[in-house]
Amino acid sequence: MQCSVFTMSQLVSSQSMSSWLDVKIDFDQSHLFFPHIIIGLLIMMAVLIMALEGRRFMSRLKLGDVSFSLFQPGADKMRFFGTLILIVVYFWSMDAVGQLFPNMGMGFLLTSIPFILMMSLLYVHKFNRRKLLSIVLNAVIAPLVVWYVLGQWFAITLP
Amino acid sequence: MKKLISGVRVALCALCVAAPAYSFADDSPIQGNIRIVIGSSSTGGDTYQATSLIADALSEKLEANFKVDAVGVSAAYRALDRVRNGRTFMVFHDQSYLGNLYGQRGYDDIFEKYTVGQTFAINPGNAYLVSKDSPYQSMQDVIDAAGHGENIRVAIQPGGVSEIGYTAMKNAVRMQYPGQENNLQALNTGSQSSKNQAMFDGLADVINGSVQANEQYTRLPADDQKAMRFLWITAPAKTLEQANESGMGKTSRAQLLNYAEPNVNVAMSDQQNFSFDKEFFFIYNKQMDPKVVAAMDQALSEIFADGQVQEKMKQSFFIPNFRKAAESREHLMQKRDQYREIIDAIKQ
Amino acid sequence: MEFFSLLSPEFFLLAGLGCLVGIIFGAIPGMTATMAVAVCLPLTYTLDLQEGLALLLGLYVGGISGGMVPAVLLNIPGTPSSITTTFDGHPMAQKGEAERALKVCIVASLFGGLGSAVVLFLFAPVLADFAIKFSYIEKFLIIFFALTVIASLSKNILAGIFSGLLGVLISLIGAYDTIRGGNGEYRLMADFMVPYLETGFSLLPVLIGLFGLAAIFEEAEKGLKSDTENGRVKLKRGEHFSFSVFKGQLTNLLRSTGIGTFVGMLPGIGGSAASVLAYSQQKNLSKNASQMGKGAPEGLVASESANNALTGGALIPLLSLGIPGDSTTAVLIGAFTLQGLQVGPLFIGEHLDTWYAMMTALVFANLVMFAVMFFAIRHIAKVVMVPKHILYPIIIMMCVVGAYAINYGIMFDVWTLLIFGLLGWLASKIGIEVAPLVIGFILGPSAEIYFVKSLESYGTYSIFFTKSPIAIFLWVLIIASIIFSIMMHRKKRHQSELEAN
Repeated sequence: MQCSVFTMSQLVSSQSMSSWLDVKIDFDQSHLFFPHIIIGLLIMMAVLIMALEGRRFMSRLKLGDVSFSLFQPGADKMRFFGTLILIVVYFWSMDAVGQLFPNMGMGFLLTSIPFILMMSLLYVHKFNRRKLLSIVLNAVIAPLVVWYVLGQWFAITLP
Repeated sequence: MKKLISGVRVALCALCVAAPAYSFADDSPIQGNIRIVIGSSSTGGDTYQATSLIADALSEKLEANFKVDAVGVSAAYRALDRVRNGRTFMVFHDQSYLGNLYGQRGYDDIFEKYTVGQTFAINPGNAYLVSKDSPYQSMQDVIDAAGHGENIRVAIQPGGVSEIGYTAMKNAVRMQYPGQENNLQALNTGSQSSKNQAMFDGLADVINGSVQANEQYTRLPADDQKAMRFLWITAPAKTLEQANESGMGKTSRAQLLNYAEPNVNVAMSDQQNFSFDKEFFFIYNKQMDPKVVAAMDQALSEIFADGQVQEKMKQSFFIPNFRKAAESREHLMQKRDQYREIIDAIKQ
Repeated sequence: MEFFSLLSPEFFLLAGLGCLVGIIFGAIPGMTATMAVAVCLPLTYTLDLQEGLALLLGLYVGGISGGMVPAVLLNIPGTPSSITTTFDGHPMAQKGEAERALKVCIVASLFGGLGSAVVLFLFAPVLADFAIKFSYIEKFLIIFFALTVIASLSKNILAGIFSGLLGVLISLIGAYDTIRGGNGEYRLMADFMVPYLETGFSLLPVLIGLFGLAAIFEEAEKGLKSDTENGRVKLKRGEHFSFSVFKGQLTNLLRSTGIGTFVGMLPGIGGSAASVLAYSQQKNLSKNASQMGKGAPEGLVASESANNALTGGALIPLLSLGIPGDSTTAVLIGAFTLQGLQVGPLFIGEHLDTWYAMMTALVFANLVMFAVMFFAIRHIAKVVMVPKHILYPIIIMMCVVGAYAINYGIMFDVWTLLIFGLLGWLASKIGIEVAPLVIGFILGPSAEIYFVKSLESYGTYSIFFTKSPIAIFLWVLIIASIIFSIMMHRKKRHQSELEAN
């Protein structure tokens, strides 16, 4: 699979110059032609941006207007990473559970219920009894409805 | 609140009990929800259509729930690689081994990596066409012209079913006019619409097409720029003869036969003419329980004995073509070896 | 005429029902018109041809229209062709004008849908003959023209172009697909990615990842403060809808409908280009260009009339060449073949009854769409009142269903959601602009194939200028579009400098 790694020399070789507008594309190498042009343009743009905006950026950096911190000040990291972790676990477990019950959409149904429940609990502010009730009801009913209507009625393939 | 939670608990338990219960109802190896992935990502194409026909028949026969998913080549192989429990099958056609012969990426040797199963239908529509005002009246004209040094461009989708007829043409030129075969050149395009467009743009002299997609173009008046003419239908007469007499659209079976072997000859070797049937067949995971393949042999035999599915196929211009798994494997390997020869002959 | 006997009550019922189901599919983030048609295709087996088509055309019209709902309310395009609806629709919703925005969309959709149906009915065969005059070269120029929208859409023109190019590059990952005319070789990926990325990233998961999931990450980072009582969106705060919005919009409506129909008609250009082109032309030609993207109804008019005009446009090559104009009509073709009928250049003439029945269904579905949505929208708009801790988990779940189902069950498409959700969240922090990125991603593969094939066939760059009068006309449009957007950026900079002083 030497082709999955690209080399710039192939771009040059594909353009044997007889007239400056002429171009000969070898079909076997044609998959690299356009990507090379786009990469070339991207590099050009990057250089242009650095040349035109670089100085302004540096001076703002010195003034402390910009920072390299990924998160905005006062970011709710608990909710952010909670979301990320829950989603990763959700996607992974959905596939794994789906393998246990082949082609029945169970992977989707059985993991969506706890996922929605946990997400709602993570996101909710000012927790109270009424909210808990709505959260639990939603976590059970929403995936069931989706699984039944889309998975069973419309026979949409679910994990 | 308590009531609600207990209600939910009951519902969940019921679900957990019900789910496995309904998948292990009796001891047939094929039951419950079966997924058939196909090597095409289009639900408007022939693979989806043929597979749906057979899936419906299987659902009825086995009282199971077969569902066709048009996931495309690479995803279909991935799905098949993963699932060895007999709940996921694949259906594909000759592209599966032709892709491998032509060295396309993503095509492994199916005879080695998977269990090749039953064939069940043929699409006899693969064809080559020229524009109506083309100087070439027959395949022989094309071969002669190439032999006499004319450049002829053929629009195909490289690397498979669309290319095999082109390879055969090239091989025929090589046999009749040794050394001239490179006058026949491939114009690599993709979908049917871009092949047609290549003809309208004057970029291609001959295009690959199909009876189904191009039949109406052949009936346009000669002064229409879109008008085309069949030169060659790659399925042999013995296949086409099984189609309904009415043929396709307003072109009858008798008319179609004029464009097929033996009325059109493209030589494959000194003794044999080339022909190509696009056959649809099942492919299974190699580790899957052989009982499943046997059960499919059994079920499909019964379905074809009933005879209804054949009628449905013919209505949609498919030729019924059932072979049990072992026989089918033998047949397809033989076919593969034949085509390998001409593909190799062209390469030299 | 025999055709009237085909119009049974069931016929209208199915068209109406299809439209309703289509709207629901379109309105759920992640579900699309194409999916609605694909899912219901097997049902048409049991119906006769006309009834089956009525159902599917209803689904098509409903699905395309339904896409406006999440675009406006949640800033997630319900279908790929409603991206440009988010640009002005969501800002309006944030101002409390969700209902007004949606009503503008509905009226524009009806206009676009009916307008393109008229064009389809009157000119289908003539336009099909015109469409085949567009070879690789003209098609590339149209894509290029659509790509110039990136310049006028971006906040910072350099960053915008960079983002657009990045989008193009991402779209090229995977095999150079033989179905599009490529050679099937892999590029831009390492060996371990091959099993997942052989066919590249799919459009829909990328789209809902960048728009849907990214927004949820952003909200999570902010701690979902908007969920507290005073932060919640009020429905009735802003201006109310009245038809006077459409005053002075007739040219916009006609132009956008025309663009939508025309782009739909060209096979291989891709439906999403329609609304993008219509939106950018409106922005280039509008007097209030600076308001567009901040909640201008005229942006909605352009986007929605164009994407509904797509329906009629995409049916033109389907019915008069046998070639689908977009992804949904590619599924629709299955309904004909399942009934043993082929579409092609002689289809309309040989099946006049079916043709009239289809036109009836198309017009009827548009009317149902209008009736249902215009009066139900007040209730649908209440979605924004649902507390976020309930709404967001459901959105994620629906995005998963949509991503998994779009290619009939591929798990990697679900992971794509997450990858692009994170990328979208990151993008705004490092100065990458999401809208140009998406447009680059959508148009990238077509740009590649038409560009490379043009050069492969003709062997010279000069062919782009000399091929045909159509090519020259397209160049005029492209240059005009670039000049307009540069002027606009100048004006904007000038204004901000004035304000700063």
